[in-house]
Amino acid sequence: MNLNDYLAVSGLLFAIGFAGVMLRRNIIIIFMCLELMLNAANLSLVAFSRFHVSAAGLPDYNGQMLVFFIITVAAAEVAVGLAVIVSLYRARRTTHVEDITSMKF
Amino acid sequence: MMPAIYLEAIVLTLGVLLVLMEAFSNSEEKTPVAWLGIVGLTFVFILTFFTANDLSASPYSAFYHADFRAIFFKRFALLTTIVVLVLSIEYRGVVQKYVFGSRPQAGLGEFYALPVFTCAGLMWMASAVDFIMIFVSLELVTISFYILVAYMRRNAGSLEAGVKYLILSALSTGFFVYGITWIYGVTGQTSLEKIGAILLGLKVSHGPLLFGFMLVLTGLGFKIACAPFQIWVPDVYQGAPTPVTAFLSVGSKAAGFIVLMRVAEVFLPVPWINHKAVTILVALAALSLLYGNLAAMPQHNLKRLMAYSSIAHAGYILIAVACIGSRYANIAVSFYLAGYLLMTLLTFLVMAAVANQAGGDDIVHFNGLGKRSPYLAFAMLAAMASLAGIPLTVGFFGKFLIFYVAYEKGQFLLMGIGVLTVAAGFYYYFKVVRAMYWKEPADDTPVRTSPLTGATIAALAFCIFFLGVYPAPVIRALEGPPSDNPRLLAR
Amino acid sequence: MIKDYLPILIQAVVAIGFAASALVVSIILGKAGKRNPTKDTAYECGMLPEGNAQPRFSVKFYQVAMLFILFDIEIVFMYPWAVVFREFVRAHHPVIFWSMLSFVSILTVGYVYAIKKGALDWKK
Repeated sequence: MNLNDYLAVSGLLFAIGFAGVMLRRNIIIIFMCLELMLNAANLSLVAFSRFHVSAAGLPDYNGQMLVFFIITVAAAEVAVGLAVIVSLYRARRTTHVEDITSMKF
Repeated sequence: MMPAIYLEAIVLTLGVLLVLMEAFSNSEEKTPVAWLGIVGLTFVFILTFFTANDLSASPYSAFYHADFRAIFFKRFALLTTIVVLVLSIEYRGVVQKYVFGSRPQAGLGEFYALPVFTCAGLMWMASAVDFIMIFVSLELVTISFYILVAYMRRNAGSLEAGVKYLILSALSTGFFVYGITWIYGVTGQTSLEKIGAILLGLKVSHGPLLFGFMLVLTGLGFKIACAPFQIWVPDVYQGAPTPVTAFLSVGSKAAGFIVLMRVAEVFLPVPWINHKAVTILVALAALSLLYGNLAAMPQHNLKRLMAYSSIAHAGYILIAVACIGSRYANIAVSFYLAGYLLMTLLTFLVMAAVANQAGGDDIVHFNGLGKRSPYLAFAMLAAMASLAGIPLTVGFFGKFLIFYVAYEKGQFLLMGIGVLTVAAGFYYYFKVVRAMYWKEPADDTPVRTSPLTGATIAALAFCIFFLGVYPAPVIRALEGPPSDNPRLLAR
Repeated sequence: MIKDYLPILIQAVVAIGFAASALVVSIILGKAGKRNPTKDTAYECGMLPEGNAQPRFSVKFYQVAMLFILFDIEIVFMYPWAVVFREFVRAHHPVIFWSMLSFVSILTVGYVYAIKKGALDWKK
C-alpha cells in the first residue's frame, strides 16, 4: 500500500459524499453523506501524516491532531444537527427536502 | 498589560457563568442573564485597550497572533455581540411565543448565553494563524449558529432556515477541511507562517496545492456569502430570529473575511498562484456584486433585502481582497467591515422595534414611519444612506477606500462594475426611505422602544456620521502607532 | 487458481436462476390476488394486530445517546495528553496540567447543566 492508494480511497469517499449531498432527497441521508466527506478528509490526513516521516522515523503528528479535532467537531455537529432535524420532523412530519419550501423567492 | 489570550478565556468563563445562572436560578425572569452578558462583554471590550500586542515569547505563538488587526477584530466581535444581546432583549417576545416550555420564559436564558460563546469563537478566529486553530474556532462559531438559527422550534420558518443552514454550512466545512488536508499533504505543515515559507522556498507540487487552496476558498466563500455560494443566504436570513440574522450577517461574515485575508496573504505572494487566485477572486467579486444588487431590487421583505444586500457587500469587500499586495488592502477590508457592522446592526435594531409593533418585517410595515416615530425613521435613514454609500457616512468612506485600492492595483473592470452596482443600490435602499417618508401609515401609533434600544440606536447612528467625517480613529487602531507606519491620508 | 472457484460460480448462477425462474413462473401461472384491507394487515398468529408497525421510541433514548457520544468522544484528547504529559512538564512548564483541568471543568459544567435540565432523568 502506498500513499496514492489511500488518497484514491479518500477521494472516492469524498466524491460519494458530495454526490449524496447533491442527489439524495432525505435529509438524514444527506447528513450522513456530509459526515462521509469529513471522514474522507480524516483518512487522507492520517495517510499524509503516516507518509511524512521525520528524520527520527516518526510520523508527523500534526495531521493526526487535526483528525482528533475533526472527529470531536463532527460529533458535536451530529448532536446539534440531528436535534434540529428531529424538531423539524416533529413540526412538519417530513424529512424530505422537497417539502421544505415555505420560503421561496 | 495582559496577554491577549486572557480575553477569550474571560469571555468563555462569562458564557459558562451565564449557562450556570440559567440552570440554577429559580427566577422566572431571564432578562438579567442578558444584562450580565452585556455588562461582562463591555468589561472585556474595555480590557482590549490594556492588552499587550506582542506575544512572540509565549508558548501559544505558533497558533495565536495578537497583532493590531486581531485586536481590532476582537473589539469588532465584542461590539457585535453586545448589540446582538440588546437586540435579543428587544426581540424576546417573539422567541417566547415559539419556544414554550413549562414556564413562560423557558429557553430564553440560552438564547442570551449562546451568542457569548459565538463571540469567543469569533475572537479566537481573529487571532488564529494555524489551520487547526482556524478550523476549531470556525466550527465553534458555526455550531452555535446552527442552534441559534433554528432556535424558535415551534416556528416552521426558523426550523427550515436551521436545516438549510446546517446542510450547506456542513458542506462548506467538508470542502474547507478537505482543502486543508491537501495543503497539509503538500507542505507538511498546518501553520500559515510555515506554509508561506515553504511555498516561497522549495519546489512543491503545484496541482495538489492549487486544488487544496481552491477547496479552502470554496469553504470560506460559503461563510462570507459571496456569489456562487450564496444559495443559503436569503432563506436563512429571512427565517432566522432577527437578532441571529444580524449576528450572522455581521459576525459570521467578518470572521470569514479575516480568515480569508490571513490565508490569502500567505498564498497570493507566491508568483505561480497569484494570477490564478486573483482571477478567481475578481470573478467572485464581480458575480457577488451583480447578483446581490440585481436580486435585491424586486424584494419586498426587508430581511430578505438585507440578505441580498449582504451578498452585494461581500462583493465590495472581495474587491479589496483581490488587491492584496496593495498597502491599504488590509485597511480597506477592515474599515469596510467596521462600517458594515454599524449600518447593518442599526438596520436590524430599527427593524426589530418596528416589527414588534407592526407584526412583520416587510417594507410595507415601514410606511409612514417618519410621521409615527421620526427618531427611528431618521436612524433608519442614516443606515440606508450609509449602506448605499452617500457621502458623509461611514459607508461612503469604506467604498472610497475600496475603489482607491482597486485603482492602485489597476482593477478597472471591478471598479466599473462596482460603480454601476452602487447606482443599483441607491434604488433599493431608497425604496425603504420612500416608504418611511412618502407613504401614509396604516396606523398613527408611535413605535415604542426600550431606553436601552433607543440609546444603542443613537450610538450607532452617531458613529455612522462621526466615522464618515473623521475615520482616523479606526484607521489608527488598524495601523498601529502612527510613528512606524505611513499615514493613509494626511489629515 | 481460477478453476477452484468454478463450483462457487456455478452455485451462484443456479441460485440466481432458481430465484428468477420462481418469480417468473409465479407471475405467469399464478392468479393476481385481489387486495383488500384484511389481506393487507400484518399476520400476527391469528390475533388482530395492534398499534403501528414501527414502534415510537421516547426521545429520551436519543437524548441520552447524544450526551453519551459527546462526553465519550472527549476522551480522544486525554490520550495524547497523557502520553506527552511527563516529558512536557519536565521540559517546559506545568501549564499542560492546568489546561487539561480547565478542559475537564468545562466538560463538568456541561454535565451539571444536563443534570439540572433533567436530560438524564428517565422518569420525567
